Amino acid sequence: MLDAPDGGGYRSRMRPAPAPSEIAVVDLQVCDRCGLCLPLCPPEAIHLALADLVVDGRTCTGCRKCIAPCPVGALAMVPA
Amino acid sequence: MTYDTDVLVIGAGPAGAVAAGEAKRAAPELDVVLLERDAAVGTPVRCAEGVGDAGLREFADPDGAPWAARRITRIVFVAPDDTEVKVAERAVGWILDRTRFDAFLAEQAVALGAELRVRTEAAGMTCEADGRWRVRLRGAAGEDTCRTRVVIGADGVEAMVGRWAGLDTRVPARDMESCAQYVLAGIDFDPDSIYLQFSDRIAPGGYAWVFPKGPGVANVGLGLVALKADGRNARQYLDDWIARRYPRGQKTGCTVGGVIVHTTIRQTYTDGVLVAGDAAHMINPLSGGGIVNAMKAGRLAGRIAAAAIRAGDTSASRLSAYHAAWMELLGDDHLKYYRLKRALEGLDDQFFNSLARTANAIRPEQRTLGRIFAHALVKHPQLLPVAARFFI
Repeated sequence: MLDAPDGGGYRSRMRPAPAPSEIAVVDLQVCDRCGLCLPLCPPEAIHLALADLVVDGRTCTGCRKCIAPCPVGALAMVPA
Repeated sequence: MTYDTDVLVIGAGPAGAVAAGEAKRAAPELDVVLLERDAAVGTPVRCAEGVGDAGLREFADPDGAPWAARRITRIVFVAPDDTEVKVAERAVGWILDRTRFDAFLAEQAVALGAELRVRTEAAGMTCEADGRWRVRLRGAAGEDTCRTRVVIGADGVEAMVGRWAGLDTRVPARDMESCAQYVLAGIDFDPDSIYLQFSDRIAPGGYAWVFPKGPGVANVGLGLVALKADGRNARQYLDDWIARRYPRGQKTGCTVGGVIVHTTIRQTYTDGVLVAGDAAHMINPLSGGGIVNAMKAGRLAGRIAAAAIRAGDTSASRLSAYHAAWMELLGDDHLKYYRLKRALEGLDDQFFNSLARTANAIRPEQRTLGRIFAHALVKHPQLLPVAARFFI
């Protein structure tokens, strides 16, 4: 981790990022359970539990990387 | 309850079904269990269902098969301005009926002696002191635990097995295609051709497709890179394209999903674990095709897992032979295709319109992909750096 390109991997372990002001949530009425957002999440905060998608609010960093790629627009940001 | 097996394959798509069958074929004395989360193998279909002829024939004979929906003999590239370029090829490929095809592959695995368990989801796994994996399973009848010597992760884009095993299966946003597709009925097209349209307005960073399932009925869909999109999601882009191109088409099934147009993950194995197919990003990053790749990877994974168990050594160092074999078979080619994809991303709609006119100047019977590429290099010098990136 010491040789991470920007040193970010190492530092982020030593000093956690400040708590995000917004986190992602999934609307299960709209979600098609395709799983596309799982590998897009840098901290791996999105899981499938009993075939439903769940965003772990404790690990979501609010980076928004999962929002636009959802083919049906099932993910949105809400205040943390 | 807890049960023991030798090989646990998670996911009964093309990668998993072939892996399970090949493990059993290579070592019939081993217990092989194949898990499927859904109630039936092959559903829901998240796929345009197109597959190349030669690759498919390595695994199954499509002539007259009930799972082969349509034989394809031509590719039609459609420029952003709707100019069509028909490419003369012979046996191009097939449009599958994935529901039946996946069921056929799973039946083959079962015929070889693998045990198929549907409606069973893996919920997590931990490695035990003796090197076996303890996998938590959730099924219709509640929770089970499976202890296994080798886990083969064939769980598709979500790739949870790789994540649990400590492999990095994450994808940069620019290498994720967001896809939407309808089965569209009552539309007019040549049922022997597949159509691919490239345009930043229709499918930025990807392409739109028409894959015939029969006369008047086709999988009509598109994949795009959300980073290049204008705020609409994939299904909205598709609705807009269909409204323009096929306003009278009747939308039946709708499906969405992600196609990872990246290169193979850096490490596809660890102690007692192999990952295969979409779960290991083994998709052709230029075409987005992954069915045959998944079957080829599944074949390698099944054989190598079986040999490792027989030899009593399922360590990462032994299983690394899988990664090496995959990279030699296709993984290294994908690195080249990926560079080509990145170079093509810089070309705009105007370029593709002009390329279509160049290609149509070649006589139809001589219009092969190779000739188009050669002509294009002469007429469009901006392609030279693209070609160069393929080789370096």
